[in-house]
Amino acid sequence: MIEFRDVAYVHPTGVRALDGVTLGIRGGETVAIVGENGAGKTTLVKHATGLLKPTSGTVTVDGVDTRDTSTAALSRKIGVAFQNPDHQLFSESVEEEVAFALRNFGFSRELVEGRVSWGLELFGLAEYRRSSPLILSGGEKKRLTLACILAWDPAVVILDEPTVGQDALQKEKLGETIRMLSSTGKTVVVVSHDIEFLWPLQPRVVVMKAGRVVADGPAKSVMMMGQALDSARVAEPHLVTLYRALAQRPDSPFVGPHEARAWIEGGSAPH
Amino acid sequence: MMWLSGGFIFRSGNSRFHRLDPRVKLLISILTFATALIARYIYEIGLVVAFILVVAAAATVLTRIARTMALTATFSAFIFVVNFLFTRNLESSSLYAFRFVAIVVSTSLFFVTTTPDELERVMKMFRLPRDVVFAFVTAVRFVPVMMLDALQIMDAQKSRGLELDKGNILRRARNMIPILIPLVVNAVVRSGELAEAMESRAYGASERPTSLVEYRAKRVDKVVALAAVVVFLLAAYSFYSLLAPIAL
Repeated sequence: MIEFRDVAYVHPTGVRALDGVTLGIRGGETVAIVGENGAGKTTLVKHATGLLKPTSGTVTVDGVDTRDTSTAALSRKIGVAFQNPDHQLFSESVEEEVAFALRNFGFSRELVEGRVSWGLELFGLAEYRRSSPLILSGGEKKRLTLACILAWDPAVVILDEPTVGQDALQKEKLGETIRMLSSTGKTVVVVSHDIEFLWPLQPRVVVMKAGRVVADGPAKSVMMMGQALDSARVAEPHLVTLYRALAQRPDSPFVGPHEARAWIEGGSAPH
Repeated sequence: MMWLSGGFIFRSGNSRFHRLDPRVKLLISILTFATALIARYIYEIGLVVAFILVVAAAATVLTRIARTMALTATFSAFIFVVNFLFTRNLESSSLYAFRFVAIVVSTSLFFVTTTPDELERVMKMFRLPRDVVFAFVTAVRFVPVMMLDALQIMDAQKSRGLELDKGNILRRARNMIPILIPLVVNAVVRSGELAEAMESRAYGASERPTSLVEYRAKRVDKVVALAAVVVFLLAAYSFYSLLAPIAL
């Protein structure tokens, strides 16, 4: 679906943000991109939508090189909810905000109304339908941006730091939404530092450091790669830390660290 | 857009020019500005621009100044066209257009080599009200932040199918609404938050707050300031007595 082939990107300021990234994201996958600040995560996803064009290498979406198409055309397939909701809200009302992209894509009036209602119900924003999006709280604004994206039903949904400013309940709801999207065959890419949020989703985890991919695989495997995670300044989930600690105790319920790893990867209970 | 804006935004440098007393840098900027104003012929403006470019090269900011010139090219062309339409005089229209470039570039030279902190201290030395100085310097300091905001907003809206370059001029102007509203709202919210943060850190508690750095002009600053004044006087004298006949 999305193919990055040896992608490098150098900012106009001369900073090398991506340095030879090769990565394939298949349709229907749930992928988490993690890494320290400045690792190139957001730069990478901006390449998928054609907002940035690679300095070298290629990015293709469904076989189409992003250099040969517009962001508007790509955004029909790929919806991105950016980190800061204040960067996109401008309409007079919440429903107008959700309808903005749908109108840009030329959806019929009936379809726009239906999709707007669905999006607002999904994220618990129906009561603010006629309110200004600017008066919403930080968490509500964040949910509104997600509603704006999901309303046009893109095949790929990219969420950039979706849990920032969300309370525990909203995080749980967001997790459910991601699972729902995955179950309907959507490709979901989550850029996040929130490992505890990602862990229950058990996505494919791509770890980035200094513009490179340093680890890539199922969450249960990647989250056990202590050294790779440390070097990329990614904290391992508390569960992994707990079982590492337990495995080292003399009265450990595990025979050794390998058994702890097998427990985490296989889900079998300790003796 | 960010590339062009670089012509007015300070980035750290370590040239001799950067290390000059900010008052001297301001003096050089004002004198080149004044020289551009008193110039009566295009070749005189050319000399002023050439002087600025030499100073910019010495200050290792030639590329940045070139960006400023690129940024002013559109406005300069507009000035030329409007003047030519009204005066039908090619020479005076060109003079106004080139003078505009020289004026902007001389200002740019000061801003790209002077930190906002230095700018603040220079303004305070002129006994300007503290609040006015703070507001001006904060505005300068936030220019790159606003530029970055604008780029991020454009990215967010383009990802929702907005095509900024599509349609006629009216449609394009309308397409800017989703960019401008979040930009203005963010700026207003940010200014409110900044005001609260400043007040919570005792802004305004003292009428005469202590200054971290006290400027004392070094010998090199005095020599450069004197040289700048001499060059200006020579230029003024030349423009009005020696070089002027060449143009006749």
